[in-house]
Amino acid sequence: MGSLILGVEAMAFLEKEGFPVLRSFLATSEDDAAGKAAEIGFPVTLKLSSPDVIHKTEADGIRVSLRDESEVRQGFRQIVGTFTTDQPEKRLDGVMVQAQGGGVEVIVGMATDEQFGPVLMFGLGGIFVEAMKDVSFRLIPMEACDAKDMMEELKGYQVLESPRSGSVDLPAVQRLLLGISEFITRHPEIREMDLNPVFVSSHGARICDARIMVL
Amino acid sequence: MNEKLVQVFSPDSVAVIGASNSFDKLGYHVMKSLAGNYHGMIFPINPKSDRIWGLASYPSLEAVPGDVHLAVIAVPARMVPDTLHACGRKGVRGVVLITAGFREIEDDGGRVLEEEIKEIAEHYGLPIIGPNTFGFVNLSSGVNASFTSEFSRIERGGVALISQSGGICHLCGFLAIEQRIGMSKLMSLGNRCNVDFPEVLTHLVEIDSSTRVIALYIEGLDEPRRLLDAAKSLRGRKPIIAYKAGKSEKGDSASRFHTGSLAGNHAIWKGALRQAGILEVTGTEELLDTAKAIDSCSLPGGTRMAVLSGQAGPGMIASDALEPAGLKLSHFSEATQRRINDLLPPIAIRTNPVDMGPAWYDPKNIIAILKAVIDDEHTDGIIFLAMYASANLNLAEGMVEYMRAADPFQKPVIACFTAPPGIWDEPIGALDRKKGVAIVPTPERAVQAMANLWKVSSLSNGRGVRTWDR
Repeated sequence: MGSLILGVEAMAFLEKEGFPVLRSFLATSEDDAAGKAAEIGFPVTLKLSSPDVIHKTEADGIRVSLRDESEVRQGFRQIVGTFTTDQPEKRLDGVMVQAQGGGVEVIVGMATDEQFGPVLMFGLGGIFVEAMKDVSFRLIPMEACDAKDMMEELKGYQVLESPRSGSVDLPAVQRLLLGISEFITRHPEIREMDLNPVFVSSHGARICDARIMVL
Repeated sequence: MNEKLVQVFSPDSVAVIGASNSFDKLGYHVMKSLAGNYHGMIFPINPKSDRIWGLASYPSLEAVPGDVHLAVIAVPARMVPDTLHACGRKGVRGVVLITAGFREIEDDGGRVLEEEIKEIAEHYGLPIIGPNTFGFVNLSSGVNASFTSEFSRIERGGVALISQSGGICHLCGFLAIEQRIGMSKLMSLGNRCNVDFPEVLTHLVEIDSSTRVIALYIEGLDEPRRLLDAAKSLRGRKPIIAYKAGKSEKGDSASRFHTGSLAGNHAIWKGALRQAGILEVTGTEELLDTAKAIDSCSLPGGTRMAVLSGQAGPGMIASDALEPAGLKLSHFSEATQRRINDLLPPIAIRTNPVDMGPAWYDPKNIIAILKAVIDDEHTDGIIFLAMYASANLNLAEGMVEYMRAADPFQKPVIACFTAPPGIWDEPIGALDRKKGVAIVPTPERAVQAMANLWKVSSLSNGRGVRTWDR
C-alpha cells in the first residue's frame, strides 16, 4: 500500500526540495514544545501529530496564536490529554510546533488516477474545499498557463484575487503549482499528496502541513 | 493510418459484406443507405444472392473484379475473423465493422474475439471503424456507410460529430436535420478496435478541409491521455468541443487524502479537457448549438453583446442570461446610438437591449439597426430575436433579400426566428448559417452559444493563437 510521510517529516522533505514551508518541529514533551517554540519565536501554532488522524480540527488537535511559553505548555497538555482520552487506540507521534502562518488558506494536492495517472489539484482551503468542493484539476505535467488557468477556474477565485485583508501573491501560488508538477514528474514514487493548508499572503506562499504517500 | 483513412472516408468503391434483400438484416439497411445515393462503385457481397438492391452481387470479396477501398461488414460475429482475412488479402483500405458481439458483451468470448480481430487488423495494417457501430456518414463526399439511410438528409456543413455511442449519433443527427445544422461527418467509433478518437481527430484537423469544428461525445476511455495529447498538439487549429457522459463517478472515498477523495473521474476530465484546449459542454442542445455557431459565425473578440429584439420580453431574458454566461451588454458609441435613434422613434427603448418594435414592419430599418450595431466598436457580438406576428410577415423575407447582397458579418450574430411551422420556414432556411448568422431555438440558447463562441476563442488563444484556421 506504500508508506505515509506526515507532518514534520513531510515538511522537511519538501523544504529540502526547495519548497517554501513554515518552520516546524516535532515536540514529544511539554518541555520540548516550550523549547522549540522559543527557538521559532512567538506566536506559534501547535498541531496534533498522529498517522491515524486526517482532520486535526475535529480531533481538537490545533492551537493557534500561542503568545508565550505558558500558553504553549498549556496547549501541549490539552492536545495530548484530549487525544489520549478520546482516542486511546490511535497512535501519537507528538505535537508539531510551528511558526504562525497567515493569509488566505489554499490546498494543493496530487493523486494518481488509474486512467489519467498523476493529477494536480488546487482549491481554496477550509470550508471551500470541505463543503463546497471548489477545486480544479490538471494533468501532470503542467505548463505555466495551466497553473494560472486552474486558479482562475475556481468559483471562489475572487477570494484570491481580492481578499478582504491585504493582497495575495498569486505568482507565488503559480510557482508552487508548477513546482509541484515538476517535483511529481521527478518523483514517480509519490502516489498521493496533500499540502493543506498552504498560506498565501502578500509575500509568498508557505506550506503549513503536508501528507505524502510514497510507493 | 492517416493516408488509408482518406480512402476509407471518401472511397471510390464500397463492398457491403452481408448485403441483403431482407429487411430484418442490417446488410439490407446498409445497402439502402448506399444505393441511389453514393456515386462510387457498390459491390454487394452475399453467397446466396445474384442481385441485391438491383445491383449485381458477388459470392465473395475475392470475386469482386476491381479495387475495393471500403468494406462495410454486417455478418455474424463468428464470421468476422475470416471476413477480415479476406479484406486483408484483397487489399481493402479500411473496414466499417457494424457487427456487434465483441468486448461490449458479458460473455468473455466477445473479448477474446475482439483480441483476435485486433491481431488480424494489425497483421494487414487494416483500419477498422467499430466493431459495434452503426457506421459513418461523410456528408462532404456523399458517402453514407451506415445502416441509417436518413442521415443522408443532413445538410452539408462543417460540423464533424465523433461519438462513442451510435445512439447519440442518431439523437444528434436527426436534431441536426430539424435544426438545419450542417455536418461534414457523423461517426460512431463503437468499440474502437484501432481507429480511436486520436486517429480521427488528427484526420479531421490535418486532412479534412470540410470540417470546421469537431464535436466529441465521450463515455469513458482506457487511455484518455492519448486523446488529450492529440488535441493538445492540434490546439488552435480547429475548435474541438466535447460532451463527456458519466458524471456520477465520485472520487476514492477510501482515500485518506483530501485530494484523493475529491479526484473523481469527471472532476479530472473537466480539468484535462480544458488543459487540452477542448471546450466542455454539458448537454445535447449545448453541443449542437455551439457546434452550429462555430461552424456559422465569426468568433467574438470579446464579451460585449448587443441584444436586438422585436419584442421586449425575449430581449429581457436574453439580457438576463448574459451575465451568468460570462458576457455583458455593450455600451454603444455615440455614433452608433445616433444611427439607431434615426431609425427608431423615441417611443421605444433605443439603448441596449434595443426594442426594435416600432421598426418591426419595415425590414429595411431592422437591417439598418443590425448593421449599425455590427459596426459599433464597443460591440463584440449580436443576439438578434424575431418573433413572428401577423403584421411582420414580410420581415424574414425582407432580411433574406438584403442578406443576399450583404458581405458576411465580421461579428457573430446568433438569432432566434420563431414562427408557426410553415410560415417563415423558407426565409429561416435561407438566413440560417449564411453570412455569419446562426439560428437557434430560444434566446437563452442563443446566449449560451455566444458564450461558448467566446470561450472557444479564448481557449485557442491560450497558446497565443489569435485566429482559427478557417
